[in-house]
Amino acid sequence: MELKVTKRDGTKELFNADRINRSIERAAFGMMDPISKVTQVATDTKVTLYDGITEEELDEATISAAVQNIKEDIDYDKIATRLLLKTVYKSVLGDYDQSPEILKKVHKEHFPSYIKQGVAGKILDERMEKNFDLEKLSSVLDISRDEIFIYSGLSGLLHRYSVKDKNQQAFETPQYLFMRVAMGNAYNEKDPTEWAIKFYEKMSQHEYIAGGSTNINAGTPNPALSNCFLLEIHDDMGHISKSVSDVMLLSKASGGLGASITKLRATGSPLSSNNTTSSGPTPFAKIIDTAIRAIQRGGKKKGALCFYMENWHLDFPDFIEWKHNAGDDYLRMRTADTAAYLSDEFMKRVEAKTDWYMFDPKETPDLNELYGKAFSARYAQYVQMAEEGKLKMWKKVPATEQYRAILVALQTTSHPWLVFKDPINLRALNNNTGTIHMSNLCTEICLPQDRKNVAVCNLASINIAGHLKKKQIDWQKLEETTRTAIRQLDNLIDINVLPIPEAVKSDSENRAIGLGVMGFSDAIEQLGIPYDSPHSYDFTDKIFEFISYMAIDESANLAVERGSYKNFAGSEWSKGKVPVDTMEKLENERGMIIDVDKKSKQNWLDWGALRVKVKSGMRNATLMAVAPNANIGLVAGTTPGIDPRFAQIFSRNKISGKYLDINHNLVTELKNLNLWGMVKDKIIELQGDISSIEEIPPHIREIYKTSFSVSPYAFVEVAARAQKWVDQALSRNMYLDDRDIDKTMDIYFTAWKKGLKSTYYLHMKPRHGAEQSTVSVNKSAKLGKTGFASVFKNAESATINVEPVSVVENIVIEPVREEVIEKEQEQIMDVKPLVIPTETVSHQIFAKVQTQLPNVEPISFTKTSSEKHFQEKIIDGKVYKVHMPTDPAENNLCDGCQ
Amino acid sequence: MPILGKASPEDMNLRPMHYQWAYDLYNQAVRNTWFPHEIALKEDLEDWNKMTEDERHAVKFTMAFFNPAELIVNRVLALGVYPYLKSPECHLYLAKQMWEEANHCVAFEYVLETFPFDREKIFQVHLETPSMQAKENYVMKYLKRMTEVKLDIETPEGKKDFIRNLVATNIVMEGTWFYSGFMVALSFRQRNQLRNFGSMIDWVLRDESLHLKFGIQLIQTVLEENSELLTEEFANEIKSIIVEGVNIENAYNKDLFPNGILGLNADYVNQYVQYVADRRLTELGLPKEYNVSNPAKWMSTATDVLELVNFFEQQNTKYEVDSGHTQKTNV
Repeated sequence: MELKVTKRDGTKELFNADRINRSIERAAFGMMDPISKVTQVATDTKVTLYDGITEEELDEATISAAVQNIKEDIDYDKIATRLLLKTVYKSVLGDYDQSPEILKKVHKEHFPSYIKQGVAGKILDERMEKNFDLEKLSSVLDISRDEIFIYSGLSGLLHRYSVKDKNQQAFETPQYLFMRVAMGNAYNEKDPTEWAIKFYEKMSQHEYIAGGSTNINAGTPNPALSNCFLLEIHDDMGHISKSVSDVMLLSKASGGLGASITKLRATGSPLSSNNTTSSGPTPFAKIIDTAIRAIQRGGKKKGALCFYMENWHLDFPDFIEWKHNAGDDYLRMRTADTAAYLSDEFMKRVEAKTDWYMFDPKETPDLNELYGKAFSARYAQYVQMAEEGKLKMWKKVPATEQYRAILVALQTTSHPWLVFKDPINLRALNNNTGTIHMSNLCTEICLPQDRKNVAVCNLASINIAGHLKKKQIDWQKLEETTRTAIRQLDNLIDINVLPIPEAVKSDSENRAIGLGVMGFSDAIEQLGIPYDSPHSYDFTDKIFEFISYMAIDESANLAVERGSYKNFAGSEWSKGKVPVDTMEKLENERGMIIDVDKKSKQNWLDWGALRVKVKSGMRNATLMAVAPNANIGLVAGTTPGIDPRFAQIFSRNKISGKYLDINHNLVTELKNLNLWGMVKDKIIELQGDISSIEEIPPHIREIYKTSFSVSPYAFVEVAARAQKWVDQALSRNMYLDDRDIDKTMDIYFTAWKKGLKSTYYLHMKPRHGAEQSTVSVNKSAKLGKTGFASVFKNAESATINVEPVSVVENIVIEPVREEVIEKEQEQIMDVKPLVIPTETVSHQIFAKVQTQLPNVEPISFTKTSSEKHFQEKIIDGKVYKVHMPTDPAENNLCDGCQ
Repeated sequence: MPILGKASPEDMNLRPMHYQWAYDLYNQAVRNTWFPHEIALKEDLEDWNKMTEDERHAVKFTMAFFNPAELIVNRVLALGVYPYLKSPECHLYLAKQMWEEANHCVAFEYVLETFPFDREKIFQVHLETPSMQAKENYVMKYLKRMTEVKLDIETPEGKKDFIRNLVATNIVMEGTWFYSGFMVALSFRQRNQLRNFGSMIDWVLRDESLHLKFGIQLIQTVLEENSELLTEEFANEIKSIIVEGVNIENAYNKDLFPNGILGLNADYVNQYVQYVADRRLTELGLPKEYNVSNPAKWMSTATDVLELVNFFEQQNTKYEVDSGHTQKTNV
């Protein structure tokens, strides 16, 4: 078939295969066996073409052809990345000559005109031209850093963050983008050019990356740079209406929101104005849920918001139903998320198996403001008043019943997330400015709010994997990165524009920032440390203690240079406290020891001296918060936040497209061992879980586990270690392959006991997915059935000589399960507060963490427990164990189907 | 109790259970329950406005096929499968499957209502397009033997008709044609278009994978219980039914992509259909017919590996209802 290509000017020309091949060849520069790779991409491109295809589509087709081969070899990722870069260069720099030297030169030379054109076209802020020496900035631009990108990261960066011209065409290259963000955070420095270069050096090498909103808006005429907002909705119609408006304006400014609705009176509560009763919080929340759908955040993302409610609210049982997929649409939130704000009092009642009372906040208005012992005392008074008939509306349920209901909802709808009010408030260093009524959309921010203050937080994240040198952390570089990032974040606050005065007030008076991390798992993989090992927990301590120390020290330095934040006086900082010191207060108020190793792993850091320094001034009310970083982690080509690898190969469903994520560290290791070619298809078929591939040495399988095969207690332990040093909180994603509700209850209970401030999204492993397309699994062979095969004696299919696979043994019927559950529940609830003297805590903890899961298990699943995690799958006639949920129904479904 | 046969009073007892696999599939199907309104299509509408005429044609054509097809499957299940099965656990599963087919129909209806389609025109397409008529006639031909000719299910010929009908509907229509339709629909998401529609297809595909599991298991069970059906002649006939289905699909694919769009053309889809058909043949113990490779390597990203959703941006399609529920199994 003769193909014609439609050119940009509308004319047609004959398809030129040679030109395509040459451009792929350039993208394969420096690789092993480039010819076969070029041929593969060229062949795959050709089958997808059609007559009349446009030039842009031709570029797209070549990139897609490279992308779909990434699962064969990560070199194709590089090819795809370079092909994509080529299209950006072409669009921004024009038809440059293909020589890399000339490209480098043109890329530098064009930079000043990019800024000038941007300013003239009102795409960029005037200060971008006025405040900087553009020639000097051009001279440091390093186009070779574009080589660091992986395809999904580059594609995400361009799609999400890059500034487009008025015709929505690419206007900046990746290096221009980093320089724009650097400059957009340096306007007010004495020497803006010098600092822009310092910020650029860090970001362009992915050592830290600014938060999403900052990347989108820095350097533009509308610098809305904040990432998170937290607002309270008060119990009067005027404030509810104002809040709807505030939510819309803040969403438009491209931030994610937390919104507390605990103060709204309960359903059936009397209204004074017209002698009727209230419809409760749900209909009002629904207005907000609808409002955020209408907003395109910064034109690029949908509005996003999380509702917070304390669980003593009378409508809390309705609240946990908000995310169910069935039911009256007016009572369901389709867009907003939900989080339950739980007190220590509640968790203790779960443990003691006593009743939990719910009230109408109209009658118990002070509960929302109280925490710690004061909350417990007041709560007890209300309980007494209720029992004495002095409250109009209340109800009680067994505390364990509500706790179970929360977790059942969490498993089914992934909501509500569990966030703990008391550790958040008791450990806050900014507790002089009021109660913290909620966390934010991603459960890592802990800032107070009231009618006059809408809390604001500004984020950036350090890429730990970007600080490895010869199998160790380059501590000096990490210090420099931390200090630079803190300064950039502090700069941001004076440039930031915010849409409502309550947010401006809170932002300028508290100067709250949240420096996080990403690439945790990426780093420990390269260091050879399994996620669920004592070494990884100690590594967590080391990293977080170090960053915490340097961040605090830098903020104290900035206070000397620029002055303290307005609300500094009266804060815990002003009393010489640092985050780790607040553990004691939590233990005192809770009346139990926080079950976590508290020792320093960086003995040389002089915390004593730092306490003295902090006392005399801090620039920022908060310093650290670990965001989930799902997007900027992707940009940096590393694992997000403190999460483990989701799987060794998996797909990411993002607004910018669906990407295949493959663990480059693992591929490199397997290539070094000459195993990659042999096992790559199996890795896909086993959905990225290599634990049963015997060809791979056990120590490698130990390091490269999937999130569903890591013990959930390890997620808790990593977060608990980090949380000690972090003054705000961490977005702790949880992953469970086990739907046993009692085990889930124990995991979350452990999270509370270990002092976590919050947990985040719960990912449940799906029990059943679609048939796989690119790997062929014979469903009948799996069942040990041969169908018509017996009639074709010589046909190939007759060779499906499956050993009547262990299928039969697998129809293990659960031994009377109901009884078992009862027992297990009691066991969990009987756990006594672990009062371990602090001195003895340190090393015993390791052993404890490791054994916790087995401790729970034997109660319910005697001998079969370990096998129950696996399902057998047959590939090439061999039986593999696939990590699977332990739901007994699943076992029957997959293996014992006859 | 044999799986096929005339209804008798003891069929109404779920216990003791003879076909545990069917009951397990029923339970999984219940957990897979989803509703069309969980998907918001607003962003997809914006994509729609940017799509080329050929791309829009492909979407409309696919919708025009799927919408009636879901109802045809339901009719086949109700008239050609359900009445001849004795096992109540199979009846439970089929009841859920029929609800799912209805749900898919309503889901496509929801898309049809949301997008700026000329609905009347789309409803007419399957009546007016010969290649689509051929597909429907193919399925109805086997169903008619079950409903109009009325063979006795307890005779070998009656059982053969049961298998023929099931192969035409379950293996060819649901297990092959639908799969190529899904690949086409998901290819738009691969290019970052119609992402929410893609999420809906994820769910439909998850359901259909279960339907296929049930169908294959049912055919295997019938063959096992009725070894007289295992003749070379009948095996060849079944294979030819599948091959005929693939041939019919060729003409349909030409109508689907008269010019081709970026990433897809008729030949590409034909090859995918042949690849899927080979897998179905193998699963039935029949020799492969085509021996072609899978042209859609990108489907590994679309369906083969676990998906991590950025849930602020996309509907998470991996959730299951009825969690925390502990299943009693006492046979």
